[in-house]
Formats: sequence, structure tokens, C-alpha cells
Amino acid sequence: MTIDWWTLGLQTLNFLVLLWILKRFLFRPVSRIIEERQAAAHAALDEAEAARREAREVRDAAQVEAERVAAARSDVLAAAQQEAEREKSRLLKEARAAADTALAEGAAELERVREAQARALAEDAAQLATDIAGRLLARLPEVARPTAFIDGLAEAVADLPDATRAGMGADTPLRVRAAQDMAEEERNMLRRRLGEVLGHSPKLTFEVDPGLVAGLELVGPHAVVRDHFRADLERIREELSRHD
Amino acid sequence: MDSPLTLEPLFHIGPVPITAPVVVTWAILVGLAVFAAVSTRHLKLTPGKVQTVLELFVTTVDGQIRDTMQRDPAPFRALIGTIFLFVLVANWSALLPGIEPPTAHLETDAALALVVFIATIVYGIAARGMKGYLGTFAEPSWVMIPLNLVEQITRTFSLVVRLFGNVMSGVFVVGIVLSLAGLFVPIPLMALDLLTGAVQAYIFAVLAIVFIGAAAGESPGRPTSEQGETSS
Repeated sequence: MTIDWWTLGLQTLNFLVLLWILKRFLFRPVSRIIEERQAAAHAALDEAEAARREAREVRDAAQVEAERVAAARSDVLAAAQQEAEREKSRLLKEARAAADTALAEGAAELERVREAQARALAEDAAQLATDIAGRLLARLPEVARPTAFIDGLAEAVADLPDATRAGMGADTPLRVRAAQDMAEEERNMLRRRLGEVLGHSPKLTFEVDPGLVAGLELVGPHAVVRDHFRADLERIREELSRHD
Repeated sequence: MDSPLTLEPLFHIGPVPITAPVVVTWAILVGLAVFAAVSTRHLKLTPGKVQTVLELFVTTVDGQIRDTMQRDPAPFRALIGTIFLFVLVANWSALLPGIEPPTAHLETDAALALVVFIATIVYGIAARGMKGYLGTFAEPSWVMIPLNLVEQITRTFSLVVRLFGNVMSGVFVVGIVLSLAGLFVPIPLMALDLLTGAVQAYIFAVLAIVFIGAAAGESPGRPTSEQGETSS
């Protein structure tokens, strides 16, 4: 067995050359591209982690914002509810006041209507009573003769003030209105009684007015003296109306 | 068939005799150089099929170095990877008709073992310093110095003899069977030679890692996580 030292040396040299070539053209570029890929993967992972962190921060911020909005919403709702309660109370108060006012006005109106109705009813009743009394008195001709009212008329003239009474029937004739036509005897009796009261014989003119029902009415230039049922009934009606 | 223990020069370049293993090695060298240059010309972050195979090979070598040495594989990657690739291609060159693998000759195996031997010393000194490296021969006791020195020699010889014996025997068996039997009879044996060649390439590379790792000692720190991911 012999060793070919030339071959041994050449093979060693060949291997070293091959080692340099493969290191230069195979292992270095391949390992470099692997490292680049790892770096890219790490960069992508870091970027993803950063994005995840950012997303988490955004999510947290959004959650805080949502909680803030929820709190603000609750506050707004509470404030709106309180405002609504206040408005409701105010409206109820106003409505109650308006209702009270309307009730008071209604009651007052009702009272007014009731009073008006009562007055109208009283007037109607008085008118009806007057009419009834007039009709009933009209059926009593004897009692209602003017003669029965001559003294009353004279007394009423006597109650007039002296100044009024002084000139009555002196120059201007006095109008005597009677419910029925007066007989000559009744006219003379009236003229005599008035002459006693006035102090002079008055000039008289006679008229018939059935509306007087019964009695006499003396109409002078400055005074009217009534002594008949219509005047009495009107007084009664006024009294009744006043008392109602 | 010529004796595997003798080499006849094919031609001379000046005073240098050029033998067949040298010529085949040149062919392998050129082929691997061209393949490496062409295949790594357009490397991309998104690899193609060839780039994927290359990256798988490199990461496998890195993983083997890292698992065995517990060190960053970068300083050893080119040496270990070149040993494996050259031995593998040289062993499988026997498949080509008329080609005798360079590793079937003692000189080639001795050259590889010599490179490993020198690399062991260089990496040991680089890692431990001259004094520290020499101190490893006195471990665990100075009594062991002769044995450790002998071990350095014998294990290198074992590298040579193991590779030489396995490849040479395969070539001889195929040659003998081919001379005795028909044309296709040695095919199963050639297939077995493929397996044997791959296994021997792996063994040679792993033993180189072990020897260099033993000389350099363990790294003060474990490989980084990035390097760990590279092996996956």
C-alpha cells in the first residue's frame, strides 16, 4: 500500500477550493436569504403586534368613549326626565288653575244666568200677578168706581209741596184720567175736593183710560198724581222684583 | 479492475501526476460550483422548489450542528455542509458508468480527514486559546495526555478507513458481481451503494461536527431563539 502524496495534496486543495466556492456561492447567499426572511417575518410579527396593540388601544379608547357616552346619555335622560316632571307639574298646575278659573267662570256665569232667569221669572210672575189682579179687579165695577178714589187722589195732591200744588189747575187745565167714564156728579165731587186741597177751583179735563184698571190719575204741567190700581200694581211688581 | 490501493496517473501537469480521483473531483467541483452559482442567482423571500431544497439543506445542516455542538452554526456551516455534499456526490458518482468515486481511494479520504483534523485544531484554538486547547489533552488528568494524543490520530485514521472501506468495498463488490453475472444483476447492490454512500456522507459530516465540537467545547451560552427557529 502506497500513498500518492500528490493526489493527497491535490484532493486537499480541491476540497478547500470547493469549500470556498460553496461558501461563497451556496451557503452564504442561502443563509442570508433565510435571515432576510426571518427578519421580514419578525418585522411582520412586530408590525402585527404593533397593529394589535394599536387596535387594543383604539378598542380601549372606544370603550371609554362608549362608557362616557352612556354616562352622558344617562345624565341627559335623567335631566330630561326631571325637566319633563317639572313641565308636567307646571302643566298640571296650569291646567288645574285653568280648570278652576273655568269652573269659577262657569259658576259665575251659571249664577248670572240663574239670577237673570230668576229676575225674568219674577218679572213674569209679577206681570202675571198684575194681569191676574187687573182682570179680577176689572170684574168689580162698583168697587172700582172713580168715586172711591177721589178722596185718595185729593189726599195725594195735598201731600205735594206747596210750590207745586199752588199753581196746579189755575191757568192750565189739569188732565184727569179715569178707568171709567166719570159721571157729572163724580166730576163735580172731584172738582170740589181738589178745590178744597188746592185752595182754588181747578180747571179740569177728563179722559178715559181703561188701562188704569180702577182709579184716577191727575196730570199737571209739573206733577202727576196717581191713585189707581195700575200704579199700585206696578209698585207691587217693582217691590217684588227688587226683593227677588 | 485496478487495485484501489494503487493509483496510476492519467497525465502529468509539469511534475505533478494527475490521477483519476483528482479528475473526478475536479468534475464534481465544477458541477457543484455551477449548480451553486446558478441555483442561488435569483434567491427570493418567496422561494421556488430549488431554493426550498437548498434552504432545507442549509437549515438541516445548521440544526445538526446546533444540536451537536450547542453553538451558533454559522462558523461551521460551510465546512460541514461542504464535507457532506462532496462526500455524498463523490459516493454517488459511482452510479455513472466508468466513473470510480474519488472516496474509493485512500488519498481523497485522507485529504478530507486531514481537513477535519486541521479544522479541529484551528477551531479548538480559536475557541479556547492555545493554552486552553492544549489543556484539553490533560483532561481529565495529565495521565491521559498520551492517550488523548493517540486518540487524535486514531480517530482521524478511523475517519479515513471507515469511508474508504465502505465505499471501496461497495465499488469492488459491484465490479466483481458485474464481472461474474449479467448486466443488471449488480443493480440492487448499486442501490445499496446509494444508501451506503448517503449514510457514510452523513456519518463523516456528523463525526466532523463531533470532533470539532469537542475541540471547541460548549458555547458559554445556548444558541439564540432565532437560531433555534432556523433549525425547525
